[in-house]
Amino acid sequence: MKIVVCIKQVPGSNRVKFDPITHNLVREGLAGRMNPFDENAIEAAVRLREQVGGEVILLSMGPDATKETLHDGLAMGADAAYLLSARAFAGSDTLATGYILAQAIRQIGGVDLTLFGRQAVDADTGQVGPIVATELDLPQATFASKIQPLAAGRLAVERDLGAVTQTVQLTLPAVVTVRAEANRPRYESPIAIQQSLHKPLTTWTDQDLTLDASRIGQAGSPTVVRKVFAPTPPTRAAKPLPEDPKAAAKALLDILQAQGLL
Amino acid sequence: MERQWTEPEQMLLRMAAKYTDTELAPHDLAMAHTNRYPDGLVEKLIKTGFLTVMLPEAYGGAGFGPEVTAAMIERIAKGSASVAATLEGHYKSVDAVLRFGTDALKKALLPQAASRILAFGMTESTGGSNPMGIQTTAKRVAGGWLLNGNKVMITNGGLAQVYCVLAKTGDQELSVFVVDQDMPGFAFGKREDFIGLRGTPVGEIFLTDVRVDDDHLLGRVGQGGHIGDVAHADARILMGAVLSGIMQHALSLAAKYANERTAGGTPIGQLQTIQRKLADIKISQETTHLLWERAAFAKAQGQPYAELAAMAKAHGSRAAVAACDDALQVYGGYGYSNDYPLAHLMLDARALEIAEGTVEKMRTAIALAELKKEEA
Repeated sequence: MKIVVCIKQVPGSNRVKFDPITHNLVREGLAGRMNPFDENAIEAAVRLREQVGGEVILLSMGPDATKETLHDGLAMGADAAYLLSARAFAGSDTLATGYILAQAIRQIGGVDLTLFGRQAVDADTGQVGPIVATELDLPQATFASKIQPLAAGRLAVERDLGAVTQTVQLTLPAVVTVRAEANRPRYESPIAIQQSLHKPLTTWTDQDLTLDASRIGQAGSPTVVRKVFAPTPPTRAAKPLPEDPKAAAKALLDILQAQGLL
Repeated sequence: MERQWTEPEQMLLRMAAKYTDTELAPHDLAMAHTNRYPDGLVEKLIKTGFLTVMLPEAYGGAGFGPEVTAAMIERIAKGSASVAATLEGHYKSVDAVLRFGTDALKKALLPQAASRILAFGMTESTGGSNPMGIQTTAKRVAGGWLLNGNKVMITNGGLAQVYCVLAKTGDQELSVFVVDQDMPGFAFGKREDFIGLRGTPVGEIFLTDVRVDDDHLLGRVGQGGHIGDVAHADARILMGAVLSGIMQHALSLAAKYANERTAGGTPIGQLQTIQRKLADIKISQETTHLLWERAAFAKAQGQPYAELAAMAKAHGSRAAVAACDDALQVYGGYGYSNDYPLAHLMLDARALEIAEGTVEKMRTAIALAELKKEEA
């Protein structure tokens, strides 16, 4: 099975700054790390390869520093990696990113399964996986908590949707986004770390892909961030109860009844 | 200024940091209470590949150098000094086999060192810093040696499967042999109930007519004292790193507490008496770090490093005990409680004033080296 895992480098710290004009995250000078859900996607891919054979290819879009994160993924057991990096990609929103990734997956060719983490922890949209599936016109299953290969090019996926769990069967090729509950990602072994730098890592720019220039970068991004702010939790005044236990019980009862809670 | 690590080195340190914070640190206090590692901890450590870190690639290892290995030990010690000490015991023994083992022994033994723990047994009940006083003997037999004796206080004793053992091959002659727990005549003794580093097993072994082949002799006959010294020096670099890690742990706890705890409406961290302690801990941690780093650098460059390594441990161990004592004082009554980690950190550090050569013996060695430089 030829599996592509799309991964994202996210800020390694919560102390982030936003551009005052574009309201986008300022990524320059920020130490990056792999989006934690993407580790689950890589682990799922490596386990599938261990079960049915094949190869695991990492795909990421970002600046050159993203190579560090790709090396981490290679050390987790992926076989090869592609970095999509070009000035023309800067400012891409989820739609433009999904389009670029889909074109890269087409170019890699013969991909049976594309995996994503359920969402990236920096923007928390969870949109890119479904956009790629739509671009490639492939069946998709989001929020996978279990992935089981079946015979004849099919895959059983358990979708954990909180209140309900849904089991679906997909015909490959397909796109799946993976929840943290799906597995516990392995640690990169010291030997795998040393080997990771010898695995193939290819950089593709906009010139290497077949792209519609109006669909990439700022031009291809309809998303406008109007405002970024830290939510202020609603505050309510505490109401002290009387000292005397009986009076306190009575006062509490009155409050609960007034709120319609009893 | 931070050292510039290569990308694989950075990856190793990142992985070790994550592993420590997720898999080790949450169990550290429980180790101090129970005098053991939680079930499965060592197996997971081995499965993740921690035994392979400094083992050369030719023997199936990852082949990382002495500097990043020590830096990784420091990071692990920040979460669990016990686990860091277990790895230290393994690495120094692997180093000894690498340097002094015959090709046949290295080919047979070192690939196993990725999954089997190695240890070094020097100390006997007659003393650790008195090598000529040992009772263990190795007698020449056809094609090999017959070992008899009892080694105590071995780091990883009972956990390790392979032991480098110091034995007398003559009245005033020491040699080192490699024995395996599976050899007939090999037996484990009791585990020590030490007051610090309580996760790390420290135990004894008995050798009764254990026969080893010629190629299980490390180095030459009579080279045992030297091999022991080299193993000690290798260990002391890593012990310096353990001590620096313990101090980082203590400082992080003390600073957090000093920010949270208030007295008269002000965080105690704003009091100069508390600031003085935090500053002293930091100075001790940095000086110890610099010493082990310099020793590791010298080792990586092929320069003499035994004296620097001795300094790292001699300075670091007393400094760390004092630093943990300061951190304990910042914590007040909670610091003195076994429900909090400060007391056990202090006792962890205290172990290293004794283990791998007492600080007294190290100071003697440092002084003798300096005296020799100025001999007429």
